[in-house]
Amino acid sequence: MTVQILQWTAAVYLAAGLVAGLGLGLETRRIERASVALLAFGAVLHAISFGLLHMTENPPPVTSLLEAWSFMAWIGTVFFLILLRRARLQRLVVLVAPAAFLGAFLGALVPSSGPVVEADKGSWPHAHVLLSSAGLALLGFAALVGVIFLFEHRRLKAKRPPDRRFPFPSLEALDRVNAVSLTVGFLLLTLGVITGMIWLQSTKGRPWTGTAHEVWSLVAWLIYAALEYARFAAKQSSRQAAISAIAGFAFLLFAVVGLELIL
Amino acid sequence: MKIILLGMNHQSAPVEVRELLAVEDPGPLLRKLVDSEDIEEAAIFSTCNRVEVLVLTRAPESARHRLGVFFNRDLVRQDHRVEFDFEEVTYEYHDSEAVSHVLRVASSLDSMVVGEPQILGQTKEAYRAAVESGSCGPILGRLFQHAFATAKRVKTETRIAERPVSVARVAVDLAKQIFERFDEKRALLIGAGEMGETALRTLRKHGLESIRIANRTPERAAALAAQFGATAHGLDELETLLAEADVVITSIGGDDPILTLDLAKRAMRDRRKRPLFVIDIGVPRNADPAIDAIDNLYRYDLDDLGAVANENAEHRAHEAERGMAIVVEEQQRFDGWFAALRAVPTIRHLRERAEAIRLRELEKTLGRIALAEDQQAAVDALTKAIVNKILHAPVSRLKREAEREEGMAYLQTARVLFELDDELDRE
Repeated sequence: MTVQILQWTAAVYLAAGLVAGLGLGLETRRIERASVALLAFGAVLHAISFGLLHMTENPPPVTSLLEAWSFMAWIGTVFFLILLRRARLQRLVVLVAPAAFLGAFLGALVPSSGPVVEADKGSWPHAHVLLSSAGLALLGFAALVGVIFLFEHRRLKAKRPPDRRFPFPSLEALDRVNAVSLTVGFLLLTLGVITGMIWLQSTKGRPWTGTAHEVWSLVAWLIYAALEYARFAAKQSSRQAAISAIAGFAFLLFAVVGLELIL
Repeated sequence: MKIILLGMNHQSAPVEVRELLAVEDPGPLLRKLVDSEDIEEAAIFSTCNRVEVLVLTRAPESARHRLGVFFNRDLVRQDHRVEFDFEEVTYEYHDSEAVSHVLRVASSLDSMVVGEPQILGQTKEAYRAAVESGSCGPILGRLFQHAFATAKRVKTETRIAERPVSVARVAVDLAKQIFERFDEKRALLIGAGEMGETALRTLRKHGLESIRIANRTPERAAALAAQFGATAHGLDELETLLAEADVVITSIGGDDPILTLDLAKRAMRDRRKRPLFVIDIGVPRNADPAIDAIDNLYRYDLDDLGAVANENAEHRAHEAERGMAIVVEEQQRFDGWFAALRAVPTIRHLRERAEAIRLRELEKTLGRIALAEDQQAAVDALTKAIVNKILHAPVSRLKREAEREEGMAYLQTARVLFELDDELDRE
């Protein structure tokens, strides 16, 4: 049932992306709005799938990497939908929807949640996985916005006219969205690290065991802490902030996901 | 019936001739036109780039003459000393050409800046004046409605007005790509010249209200500042002003750049690296191109803005071609309607003739036999029905054929077959 709903979710996200592309091609506001509505509908379906998974077996909704992708896609989508109320970002649906589709699609590939290890039961691992994934999703979103910022910045510096079929939000809006995602994402990541330590404390009796995952995650957290400082206390320029967001996320992705694939 | 348009615009006449024509109140002029026997309906367009008189007439030759006199005596100011050849600075269009011209004007395809939005409002104003003075009848009225519909189609089906083509509008467009909103932003105008003033005015129209003006002579800055509700400053305060501004327009004389790399660097440090948009419209340039190296500073000089404007103008020209296709289509549609009006007299004569015959024969028959009142009514209805049924096919055909030029032959044939002209002669 959960997998079916997730499949439906992926289909709706895909439709949202296609409709958004159509809206850009035809430059019709109505189609643009329809794509936002579809994306929101997809996010609701996505939430239902997590709810069902949680109710049936009571594991955290994220027990595998693929499910984590799906969860991150959902968090990213919800965050984007919230931001839509504050900034004119409708046209980004064409980028966000395919990313959400990929997440839900990968999540649906898992036939059902895998066997739950005894140590993974309880609310601390639950909280750790959810908070860290959500943090990862938002920091990823900040990086995506950073890429668009750099693209637009370079275009304006080179004095090239904008592509009218694909007008991005203003640099100011992109910068602000980048700052908000970075702040909220870092906060969630921090909570993820703290809950992870508490989980270790409760199972192993100490908050630090020195595994690769712990070391790399902590380094990633420190890097982000430095980035936050540079951005908000030392007043980085928007371009530097965009580059930092991209570089930081690349490292985080490696530390949390890449390492899991290698080891 | 013929539609004639006589006018002059920015393409046909230089400004010193155009400014001789000023129509302040078209009402009396329009009444004067339709009071003459030759002219049935009339309208006058008058904007800063054109003056045109549009009339509907049954006597084209005398109407043309009348229009020429009207243009020279009633529209052109009489106290001028400018020499010009009337034929050369004006144009005259008839029927389809006149219709096409009116549609082009309303759709902003004939404007100096193609796609500018004011012209439609001005066309509506011309229509309103003509209706109020009673000079606009059913045919020109229909032409105006058709022109408004065409303008709407051109606006929605092409992207003619999408990209700005004036330097000031291009600058605003760029500012919107950098800043999300203008209401909390500050503008700084360096120099109190006319160019800078125009750019500032455009920015202000788009919501940028907090303005500072710096100039070599603070008195001139003060005079301009009073107009904009801005504050005036001397150039010695430049560094502080730059640190606080978001949009800077420079338009000041002098051979050396006033906005140097060094100054810009210091100002950027003070402003904690918030983005700064520099619009340099000074000639020679007021901002050193080296400041491009500063992050978060976006500098556009007159050439850069001009390049964007030109590209946009090319885009508009391309879209104007698509607009012209719509105009041709709509002009043909109007022509069809207008031509079909030619069938009206023939059809009316035909109906009148048939009705006369019916009444005559009915009278004869009813005089010979005695019928009850309801029986008489039945016979009357029967004959009416027969006449209508017989006339239905030829009348529909005539209406249809009249929309085409070749359809005139059908009208002619109908007149001969039904002896309509003979009937008129007898009358």
